[in-house]
Amino acid sequence: MGMFKDAETFEKVIVGFFNLVGNTPIIADKLLQSKMVIRFNYTDPDLVVVVDCAGDKAEVRPHDKTTTAVVEMSMSSDIAHRFWFGMVNLTKALTRKEMVAKGPIPKVLKLLPAIKPAYAMYPKYLDENGFRNYNITKAYTPPPSA
Amino acid sequence: MLPDFFEFYNPTKVVYETGVATDLKPELDIIGIKKYFIVSDHVIDGLGLVQKVADGLAEAGFEVTGKFLEVAQDARLKDVKTCADLIKSSGAEGIISIGGGSVIDTAKAANILFSEGGDLVDDYSGAHTLTRPLKPHVVIPTTAGTGSEVTMVAVIYDEENKEKLLFADKFLLPNLAVLDPQMTTTLPPKMTAATGMDALTHAVEAYVGPQRSPISDAFATGAIELIMKNLVNATQNGEDIEARGGMLIASTMAGIAFTHSMVGCIHSMAHATGGLYRVPHGVANAIFLPFGMEYNFEEIKEKLARLSLVMGEDAAGLSEEDAARLSIAAVRKLTNKLNELGALPIRLRDVGVPEDGLTAIAEGALNDGTSFYNPREMDEESLLPYIQNAY
Repeated sequence: MGMFKDAETFEKVIVGFFNLVGNTPIIADKLLQSKMVIRFNYTDPDLVVVVDCAGDKAEVRPHDKTTTAVVEMSMSSDIAHRFWFGMVNLTKALTRKEMVAKGPIPKVLKLLPAIKPAYAMYPKYLDENGFRNYNITKAYTPPPSA
Repeated sequence: MLPDFFEFYNPTKVVYETGVATDLKPELDIIGIKKYFIVSDHVIDGLGLVQKVADGLAEAGFEVTGKFLEVAQDARLKDVKTCADLIKSSGAEGIISIGGGSVIDTAKAANILFSEGGDLVDDYSGAHTLTRPLKPHVVIPTTAGTGSEVTMVAVIYDEENKEKLLFADKFLLPNLAVLDPQMTTTLPPKMTAATGMDALTHAVEAYVGPQRSPISDAFATGAIELIMKNLVNATQNGEDIEARGGMLIASTMAGIAFTHSMVGCIHSMAHATGGLYRVPHGVANAIFLPFGMEYNFEEIKEKLARLSLVMGEDAAGLSEEDAARLSIAAVRKLTNKLNELGALPIRLRDVGVPEDGLTAIAEGALNDGTSFYNPREMDEESLLPYIQNAY
């Protein structure tokens, strides 16, 4: 069983984070330049999310199975979660089939330097948005209200 | 320092012998099928190499069900589709590709459609999209450069959308690589030099890249040693079987090295230059190799110092920095020698690149997927002076 108890929680975490990244100019500007449309196919729990950078602003659309994506990335929610902590070596994950990437991989690799700042944002985002128990960089301490 | 993680996987059987390409019965018996389709190009066919292999197959009781000889300078998407259709309709059970990188890559991609059906781009482009082994693929390289006979990658040019598609999958690794120096003796000096420098670049970039491992290092250094010993001789005298053999083995070893540890900025610049100004890949790599080593110098100094010994230079008593510079000098010595032989241009200005096109090369290099694997983080401002120096 994965780290996330249900798809709803995972959706809140990942979609919220993608929206934050999409509104962070230092990252978003480069994503928008790329015109990339990526569909993330997550498993355990299952969730589909499209990040569409083809327009003027980055759009994050959960459950979008119809948009034609340039690249499709498939992985478990745990791998996705660890990726945003900067804990996943993309080449290693692809080699071990922990991630499967369909489409022009060089375009994805090119975006990696652009999204680097997001690694530092993720644990902070989890802490500040009620998902502190998913912050694997620190030992879990229940919030006072819990 | 040891890497935290690495994987080494190469199931491709390699056989080496002068003349082995016409005597493959023992190896093909192990694969266990009888009907092969040949993929090659008209140049290779015109040299009689396809017929030579086909005769050997017939003599050993194997059937050649058909041939596809239309592979162009770049492996093209439309050719892959045509080739796959022909293979299917011929009743073949496996593929033998005879040629350089484009031929081998065309055969690899055609094998996907032959084995799995579907749409090549929508269903399979990308990394590790295949789920099971493909039909048997035997490769007989006729150049010593790409290493494609032992790599898990195929690069296919989509003419309609003007983009290069990457297919990277373990199941693309051929079953058998046949290294027969006789199959490369007709390669002209310019092609010998350029493809040999391509192999050297694979090995050097694999050796200094961030994805390297002790195993890929061993293949890379083995390749570099062989190339430094044999490339000039193979270029000067195409009939020199010892030199041709050394280069074939080196190219395969370099292929094994870089399919595991990737390539970096030299390939980034070469891809950009090839795309913009149609400079052959090996030539572009040869031009950029010493400059790329200089660009990464601070990050890879220790590795370059070791390479000076692998390259046969006398680094005794030198500081690490001086020994490292000696390896770059050794590369320049080699390219200068090939240049003196009239076999290799060593400046961008000599291969039709305009001086006002250098910035575009820097931009293109940064947009190339290989830039991700460079030991030094690349940016246009720092890279441009090295491209200008290569001009």
